[in-house]
Amino acid sequence: MLNIEHLSKRFGAKTAVDDLSLHIRPGEIYGFIGHNGAGKTTTLKCAVGILPWDAGTIRVNGVDLRAEPLRCKRELAYIPDNPDLYDFMSGQRYLNFVADIYGISAALRQERIGKYAALLELTGDLGQPISAYSHGMKQKLAVISAWLHAPKLIVMDEPFVGLDPKASHLLKEMMRRHCDAGGAIFFSTHVLEVAEKLCDKVAIIRQGRLVKAGTMEAVRGDESLEAVFLELEAE
Amino acid sequence: MLKVLLKKQLSEVFRNYFYNPKTNRMRSRWAVAGWFVFFAVVMVGVLGGMFTALSLSLCPGLAAADMGWLYFLLLGGVAVVLGAFGSVFNTYSGLYLSKDNDLLLAMPIPLRTILCARLMNVYLLGTLYAATAFLPALIVYWLTAGATAANVLGGLLLFLLVTLIVLLLSCLLGWVVAAVSMKLKNRSGLTVLLALVFIGLYYFLYFKAVDLIRDLLQNAAVYGAQIRGAAYGLYLFGRVGEGDFAAAAPVCAVLAALAALVWALLRRSFLRLATSHEKVGDRRAAKTARARSPFAALVGKELRRFTASPNYMLNCGLAVLLLPICGVLLLLQGRELGALLETVFAAAPDSAAVLLCAAVCLLVSMNDLAAPSVSLEGKSLWIPQSLPLEPKTVLRAKAALQLLLSGPAALLCAVCAAAVLPGSLAARGLLCLTVALYSLCYALACAAIGVRMPLLTWTAELVPIKQSGAVTLALLGSWLLCAVLGGGYLLLGSSIGAVAYLLIWCVLFAAAAALLLRWLDTKGAAAFAAL
Repeated sequence: MLNIEHLSKRFGAKTAVDDLSLHIRPGEIYGFIGHNGAGKTTTLKCAVGILPWDAGTIRVNGVDLRAEPLRCKRELAYIPDNPDLYDFMSGQRYLNFVADIYGISAALRQERIGKYAALLELTGDLGQPISAYSHGMKQKLAVISAWLHAPKLIVMDEPFVGLDPKASHLLKEMMRRHCDAGGAIFFSTHVLEVAEKLCDKVAIIRQGRLVKAGTMEAVRGDESLEAVFLELEAE
Repeated sequence: MLKVLLKKQLSEVFRNYFYNPKTNRMRSRWAVAGWFVFFAVVMVGVLGGMFTALSLSLCPGLAAADMGWLYFLLLGGVAVVLGAFGSVFNTYSGLYLSKDNDLLLAMPIPLRTILCARLMNVYLLGTLYAATAFLPALIVYWLTAGATAANVLGGLLLFLLVTLIVLLLSCLLGWVVAAVSMKLKNRSGLTVLLALVFIGLYYFLYFKAVDLIRDLLQNAAVYGAQIRGAAYGLYLFGRVGEGDFAAAAPVCAVLAALAALVWALLRRSFLRLATSHEKVGDRRAAKTARARSPFAALVGKELRRFTASPNYMLNCGLAVLLLPICGVLLLLQGRELGALLETVFAAAPDSAAVLLCAAVCLLVSMNDLAAPSVSLEGKSLWIPQSLPLEPKTVLRAKAALQLLLSGPAALLCAVCAAAVLPGSLAARGLLCLTVALYSLCYALACAAIGVRMPLLTWTAELVPIKQSGAVTLALLGSWLLCAVLGGGYLLLGSSIGAVAYLLIWCVLFAAAAALLLRWLDTKGAAAFAAL
């Protein structure tokens, strides 16, 4: 679903991502962990076509992202670490805006908005301006907008930050259902327990380089993910 | 505690003098000094100079007629209006919309202390405005009528009373705006409406000022007697400036009572207003689920961005209203204006059509909403970048909104001008075509400048809207172009006639629009994608 081959990205003299390769298959929840400034967000932003990159190729569902960015973007959704949405819109208007961009019919969007808003308990607040939303509510809105066009690949940067325990639980269920239905999820997190319980595969990045990747069992062996991560960080 | 809050408040007020809001870095010593000098020149030199001139025109006549009280009443009234209206929006936002509401309310600070600190801020700003009008008036009076201990003390006391009235009026108006805003869905519309009313009132009084002063001086005795008879309190108010302390006592007592009432009103409503301003919902939006094309959705989003911000509307879209107003005025008085222009510039035939065309284009230039539009994406830039949208579609939508708002209004104004102007039908038709093509060209140019000079790191939206390089370039460039359009005809163009001259400009604008559109679709789009 998402093939990243030899990705490199530099900001001036600093190499943020260095020769990184990752393959995420349909049905997989792929966790991406690393310390602050390791290059996670840069990788995710490159993978969704926000940031241009210097070397390597990225393919979404077999389509080259650089060659056909719009085709790729129709297949994916992105939730940033800090959901800075359009404060001047209401939640409903924002969802309608996103639905218009993806060309979702009126009936279908109404059905999906109703379904996900009810699930995340945001229905009553959709008429409110986004400027009045808490961080968690913005995060929920970003989640609904990401699921709205039924993307094949969902890329999320720290998706659980700001969510209450119930919403976190619901999001994990949504992620699992999405992958069980043939989709794929690639997300970064600092919460290693969540990654350990939720992910089918995990990749650890340090100073822009991939230091370990594979199935959860292969990466952690007999230890906890936290222990593996700390060991790798100490090296 | 009040001292701590006041210190914080003042550092916030003067922050822009010490920090550059664009870069969020401290200004150099020279830049700080420059800002203070600039402020002093504007407040003392320009505003103070204006009111000194006004005082000089009123004071000698009224002082000689022993009607100093009327002079103080008039200038005091001017100072009150300037101070109260100058700070009404600041009062609303300063008292109720401060970003540190939650922070301060969560601390063990008495509500009255928070309110007091914020009122002090309102007081200082109101006093600043009032002082520019009233202090020159006082000085002019002392120099004209002669300074005595009584009238100096009385004058200073009156100044304090004026500042108190300014504070009370500002608080009441701010309270009304806050209370009404709570009930309204479209608060931005109200703010713009109020601002337009104040601007309209200001220009009305400004243009009528000379007639009003002349009338007042000629009939001072009559008006004085009428005011004394009908509103004795106002007479007493004016007398305070002349040093009448017997008049000062009741005036002070009434104002103290009013101050107590306003304080009680603010204290009672402060918490409710300060904590509920974000809760007005959009019930209609919850039911809306009409599907649109991506381009229409983008234009709709731009429109929502525009209408959600009074700053954006007032600074970048005022001509949407002014153009039709000017059109109506042209219908009413355009014939005389056209004849006057033809007479003044008799050497350049059909000059009225060209000059009015340049004037309408100049008005169109006030609508530069596409120029700060890319910058206004700010931290939300990830949305258009991650959605399946071509960058050129995003940029075209920004230009389209400007054109949609400016174009019809500009065309209406141009048609009104063409309807009443003398000259050939061809010249009048070309006037309309030139204005239409200029509107198109300007919208595309603003979008191009916006993507070429983006400013995405702002903390206050006023920075990209008012102080960005993109907006400055768009405005100055368009003014220069309009000057060339009008002036060029008087200097050179009249030799080929208005029709040929306007035709050349039409071709130029059309060619420029085509080039700009191509640039936006290619290099502009690449620049947007790389932001």
